Amino acid sequence: MNSGIRFDAVSVAYGGNVVLDSLDLTVEPGEVMALLGPSGSGKTTALRAVAGFVRPVSGRVFLGGRDVTELPPYRRGIGMVVQQYALFPHLKVAENVAFGLKAQKAVPRAEIPGRVAEALDMTGMAAYAGRYPRELSGGQQQRVAIARALAIRPSVLLLDEPLSALDAQLRSGMLAELARLHRELPDVSMLYVTHDQVEALTLADRIAVMDKARLQDCGTPQELYRRPRNEFTASFVGNANLLPVEVRTGGGVRFGEAVLKVDTGDAAAGSAATLCVRPHLVGLGEGPNALRGTIREVQWRGSTHRLYVEVDGRPVKADVRELRETPVLGAPVTLHFASQDAVLLGAGVGSGG
Amino acid sequence: MPSTGADPKAVPTELESGSAGTDRATSQAGTVAAPGRGFSGQGPRPRGVPAWVWALPPVAVLALVFLYPLALVVQQSFTTDSGDVSLAPYGDVFASEAFRSALGTTVWLALGATAGCLVLGFALALVIAFVPFPGGKAVAKFIDVFLSFPSFLITLALLFVYGSVGMANGMWTGVTGASEGPFDFLTTPWGVLLAEITYFTPFVMRPLLAAFSQIDTSQLEVASSLGARTGRIVRQVILPEALPALAAGGSLVLVLCLNEFGIVLFTGAKGVTTLPMLVYSKAILESDYPAACVVAVVNVAISVGLYGIYRVVSRRAGA
Amino acid sequence: MLVHSRAGRWATWAGFLLLFVPLFAVPLLVIVAASFSTNWSGVFPSGPTVANYGAAVRGESLQALTTSLVTAVAASVFALLFGSWAALAAAALRKRGKRALDALFMLPVAVPSVVVGLAVLVAFSRPPFLLNGTPWIVVLAHTVLVTAFAHQSVSAAIVRLDPVYEQAAASLGARPAYVLWRVRLPLLLPSLNAAAGLCFALSMGELSATMMLYPPDWMPLPVQIFTATDRGSLFTGSAVAVVLMGTTLLVLLAVSRLRTRASFR
Repeated sequence: MNSGIRFDAVSVAYGGNVVLDSLDLTVEPGEVMALLGPSGSGKTTALRAVAGFVRPVSGRVFLGGRDVTELPPYRRGIGMVVQQYALFPHLKVAENVAFGLKAQKAVPRAEIPGRVAEALDMTGMAAYAGRYPRELSGGQQQRVAIARALAIRPSVLLLDEPLSALDAQLRSGMLAELARLHRELPDVSMLYVTHDQVEALTLADRIAVMDKARLQDCGTPQELYRRPRNEFTASFVGNANLLPVEVRTGGGVRFGEAVLKVDTGDAAAGSAATLCVRPHLVGLGEGPNALRGTIREVQWRGSTHRLYVEVDGRPVKADVRELRETPVLGAPVTLHFASQDAVLLGAGVGSGG
Repeated sequence: MPSTGADPKAVPTELESGSAGTDRATSQAGTVAAPGRGFSGQGPRPRGVPAWVWALPPVAVLALVFLYPLALVVQQSFTTDSGDVSLAPYGDVFASEAFRSALGTTVWLALGATAGCLVLGFALALVIAFVPFPGGKAVAKFIDVFLSFPSFLITLALLFVYGSVGMANGMWTGVTGASEGPFDFLTTPWGVLLAEITYFTPFVMRPLLAAFSQIDTSQLEVASSLGARTGRIVRQVILPEALPALAAGGSLVLVLCLNEFGIVLFTGAKGVTTLPMLVYSKAILESDYPAACVVAVVNVAISVGLYGIYRVVSRRAGA
Repeated sequence: MLVHSRAGRWATWAGFLLLFVPLFAVPLLVIVAASFSTNWSGVFPSGPTVANYGAAVRGESLQALTTSLVTAVAASVFALLFGSWAALAAAALRKRGKRALDALFMLPVAVPSVVVGLAVLVAFSRPPFLLNGTPWIVVLAHTVLVTAFAHQSVSAAIVRLDPVYEQAAASLGARPAYVLWRVRLPLLLPSLNAAAGLCFALSMGELSATMMLYPPDWMPLPVQIFTATDRGSLFTGSAVAVVLMGTTLLVLLAVSRLRTRASFR
């Protein structure tokens, strides 16, 4: 099956307000792509451009190699699941799931019940076929919404913050469920819009990070987490210490008084850059790349302690295994991190992309 | 009137708002981006007819059954009996004493009834909303039912209550032994005024009750805990909140009173002639169609002008 | 609670009843009482009888009732059809077009009913549309008058309708016509129902325009009540008025029953 989604320099504007700025992105067939970003970053707009609810001012949208930019939503053959479920309140669960099949008239009438049962089975909702949506809980309604989208056997599934309306416990259950569906439907491309990094990291094959109407970064979760390309990605995907440093001649960087041995790549000597170090990779005590400072705040988080240490007037966060004795505020302390755990973000790459 | 996010200003707030509201806002903004492309206002719709074509059939019907007749009335009002186009019918009608007194009666009755409805409606709605009593819901229901009955029933009822041999006069003669009761105002404009106030007060109460239900009662509790007396709370907290609803309800009632016919007809008094009554008597009783059309045009001009104000006011009030 | 003292509250309620009962409850009760009497010259009516109803459900009164029912049903159906069509078409228009269409369809509310009656009479008494003297001219005038209310309530319901439903339907491959028929109209059904009840009640009680143009063989109830009272048969008129109120209430009740069914479905 030839599926997949391609954005080719897609821009969307509302009355002169650019809400999606020249997006280039390809979702491979069978891939789960998460669009991750804060609200107003343009991620939902991108999804709606695929669904056909917004019309780009420029650029093309391709579905499975076919240019669909000019096609109305009902001729695009996509499945969509939205945050508010949007189940038709006047139809029973089975009728909701059958809606797309009946509307498209692509399937012989006799086959519809079988297809409905199959879709409901897949989401574990077969027992509720005769109920009305209002008789179901939020999680059950979302399962029906997914079944309804899957019943038309779309090659592309769009998920717009599908778990945001659910409570935390249901959310992790549904996340596992979605991952299972992805394994069972290896041909379906999914575009998953979310502002929650855990959802994106858990589910996605690749993550596209959006901010301020633009694509900031795109890569596998591991790549984005371990090798973020800019400050926005570093701080939005996971937690990060972003230290302003200066690249030294002959390798390494200078952070205040300290000289740190990190891979500087082809960064020019003397230029300013940002060093990204994940707080949980910062250790307490002497070691390579030692940073000396004063403890300003301590937060106990059960299994870990979060230390805020002031180094050369800059705060550095460290997440360390729970300490037997809570450190005293104002006490001098030494932190360290391994060279390979630090990433140097290029100068000027930062915000705005 | 909350239009479906059709305001382009809605988009920037969407960009800054919290995540929960964002998607709803975007979904509305989506309809803005591609307006008028389909019957249901969706995205790209390259084929098929444009949206305004769908508006044509009902507009054509309305034009045939409403606008065309209205235009004929206007045309007729400028035509003399001999078929010439002139302003003469207007001159004749404006010169007649009957028209001038009907215009005066209509306006003062409408203004008086509106004022009465506003005062009475405000007081009654205040009690229903803020001094709740068992059965208050039933009273609100009753008001809805009341609105679905025709206006002339009120005049019919008043005939039994205040008519020359009705309840009130019967009580008077029974108690005093007099041969006639003192109540003899039904065939005067006061009878019409009473009937109009009775019938149209619910039209003021409905929007008021809706507005009152929006007022946070904790606001009133805070005000009274700060030592404000009832009168002060009504003046400084409730009245400002109710003002848009009062304005909207008041201007609606004003228009309806200007156009009221059934109440005046049932009063059956020669002494009370309003503009609609004059239209009726000129056209049906005297078969003087040009004159009837002139009065009709004047009546329409006043009412539609006021109705335009009502639309503006009620849009501001969000009603 | 605005009034805190017990006495104050009772005083407020007493004042409320003193205004409310004579103004709103008494008129309707008086009509019902009068419909069962032959004479009213004291505090209470006298000469209890049901003969008035005998007259009210026989002969021309019965004919007037069927006339009113047929007119009201026909006018409601037409009004609902054109009003909702216009409201749906307006919803698909740009802001300015929508406002213009809404204003156009609300215009009959502002125009005095008597003038609507006169205009329809003038326009349809001449070629090419000769309807004068037929029941159709009454139905037409009523339709003009009540379409505005149908349009208004359906418009309000469309604004409240979350676009997410039609978008979900479109993403599932449903064409606009299918979405309209299977999603939007069913979701609008409760409002259509309420609008139908409103239109019916308004048409049942319509007197002003009807007085201008009813043909002798198509005399609706309100006109019947007027002619009865005009010749002095106040008590028969009251009985006919009670029939009018009762029929309206019954239909409204049935419609609201249907509505709760529709919204729970």
